[in-house]
Amino acid sequence: MELLAQILANGILLGGLYAVMALGLALVWGVLNIVNLAHGAFIMLGAYASWHLYTYLGIDPFLGLPLTALLLFALGYALQRGLLNLVVRAPMFNTLLITFGLEVVLTYLAQLAFSADFRTINPPYAGSNVQFGGVVLPLVRLAAFGVAIVLTVGMWLFLLHTRLGRAIRATAQNLLAARLYGVEPRHLYAVTFGLGLALAGAAGGLYGTVSQINPYIGASLTAKSFAIAIIGGLDNPLGVIVGGLFLGIVESLTTLYIGPTFADVASFGILVLVLIVRPSGLLGRTA
Amino acid sequence: MLPRLFFRFPSVILPCLLAALSLPAAAQEITLGASVQLTGPVANTGRYYRDAYQIAVEKINAAGGVKIGAQQYKLALKLYDNQSDVNLSVRQYTQLVSQDKVQLLLGPFASNFALADSAVSEKYKVPMVQGGGASDQIFSRKFKYIFGTLAPASNYFGSTIDMLKALKPAPKSVALLYADDAFDVSVAEGTRPKLKQAGLPIALDERYSTNATDFNSLLSQIKSKNIEAVLVAGHETEILNFVRQAKSLAVAPKMYSFTVGVPSEDFRHALGADADYAFGMTAWLPSAAQKDRWFGDAAQFASEYKQKYGYDPDYHAASGVADVEALVQAMETAGSMEPQKVRDALAKLKFDSLYGPVAFGANGQIDLPQVVIQVQGDGLAEIYGANGFVKQPKYPMPAWNAR
Repeated sequence: MELLAQILANGILLGGLYAVMALGLALVWGVLNIVNLAHGAFIMLGAYASWHLYTYLGIDPFLGLPLTALLLFALGYALQRGLLNLVVRAPMFNTLLITFGLEVVLTYLAQLAFSADFRTINPPYAGSNVQFGGVVLPLVRLAAFGVAIVLTVGMWLFLLHTRLGRAIRATAQNLLAARLYGVEPRHLYAVTFGLGLALAGAAGGLYGTVSQINPYIGASLTAKSFAIAIIGGLDNPLGVIVGGLFLGIVESLTTLYIGPTFADVASFGILVLVLIVRPSGLLGRTA
Repeated sequence: MLPRLFFRFPSVILPCLLAALSLPAAAQEITLGASVQLTGPVANTGRYYRDAYQIAVEKINAAGGVKIGAQQYKLALKLYDNQSDVNLSVRQYTQLVSQDKVQLLLGPFASNFALADSAVSEKYKVPMVQGGGASDQIFSRKFKYIFGTLAPASNYFGSTIDMLKALKPAPKSVALLYADDAFDVSVAEGTRPKLKQAGLPIALDERYSTNATDFNSLLSQIKSKNIEAVLVAGHETEILNFVRQAKSLAVAPKMYSFTVGVPSEDFRHALGADADYAFGMTAWLPSAAQKDRWFGDAAQFASEYKQKYGYDPDYHAASGVADVEALVQAMETAGSMEPQKVRDALAKLKFDSLYGPVAFGANGQIDLPQVVIQVQGDGLAEIYGANGFVKQPKYPMPAWNAR
């Protein structure tokens, strides 16, 4: 029983991390209709940014998250204005190609700049934990979970209640109507992409603290984020949390009861099921 | 037509002339070809092979090169980056043999690569000496042109299990975790009967996906079943995650041992103080007792290597150097660089090197004992070898909050 409680706790905490990773991807996909295949590579860049801030400037990875997010926001804004705006209304295939190319370029630039050595962000409290009964909760994962909830709810409130958030949603729903109301789509798209990357940057900082960083972590993170975004749905940031938690718990239980090699089978199996049964995601609007 | 040919005359004749001029020089050179992982997820270990091949070739050339009959030949190296992609590496080996016409082949890193690439050497009947693939699968196909200088995967945990029996108190239960690739599956298949023979019950036996990042469920099971010894066959990234997550979940078995990572400086650096107490194994340590024709001995090699590349060599690097040396020794004994003759000489080869005594079994694989090593404080300690304990292990491992 204790083992089951521990496994569920592991799954929930893992799910929180998954949710932050997928949040940026879901936002960009939902608003810009760009499936950003370079999303994982931006998480990787965020992780390296956090690592450098921690290693050379001694900035705590959690306190450094806003800084990392800001750096990636700037990068995202520039990339969208300079590069991705060229394909924003092009067929899906073109955006896939360009973001895939971006992924390859970023990965190899990262190897050139940072080498293939493994890095870990290892603050003194990285291995600490708190215990509830017999269940051990790693402190860093707990904090990452907290950050995930804050970011998701924050994103939700931002989209619902701020002028900019409403403009973003309006543009996603009906570009023509939004323009008639004075929304400047180019700026708005760049802000959205910047926000997506800022979230990826934050996720990277958290990821480097619980796992390890090398230039090649991106591709598998993109795949995972993609699955979570589909499972949760793109309409609502809360869907991403639900998708992340769901996936985290399912993977943990699969590892316990069936075997670790089946964790991926389970998560991508669920992805297929969701696509068949609820194509707009668990929390998505039904058509 | 004719004027045009005249017009092209210089561009046609010049390369021919140049080729004719450089022909005698080219004949003085023997090219060894290899495809290694310089980029991609395993570039981190792949670089050992590039660096080892280069330093060996330079050193051998500086000493005069290869002597075949009365003539001295220089060695040259043709390296491709396979981007950690098995399919690309097979294509590159095919290109090395069929288009670049290299004389002999050196290997890639990792068993799954060597497993696929050895099919190329076999098909073209060009011997490949590889120091990057240890899986028994590579050598169980009755191939004639593949030789390996890594000790068999099935025996990686052999010395560790001998040590476990000798520990007081010996661990009561063992977990065996392994990744789903050629090398790690071979390790697990070899380890299971050895544990059984030693009377150590396997309480958890799980295969996980290569590149898995989440070990929380496995670690929770280790804790809940009170497993005392954990043997993991995997890749460095997985093992880094395993150790970090063990700490964060406060899982501290009496000992854990890993097939890779522990001997490598980069790995210990990434984990910092958390690397302490981890066991591993190596078939090679830079000892001055291991004499070498070109480098003097293993200790001199290690310092020369470190000076040149800025990081310590581990057994991968030593194994890579042994591969180059084996090819050179074989060419010299065969008195030829013809693939067939070199192959026959390799099969009978016996020489001492910085890597240890090199001789290949009937299946083409070397047999070297694995020494158990442990991270103790900042350094690596040699713990258990063929003659029992060399140094006392730090055992049992203390709880994480008691360090």
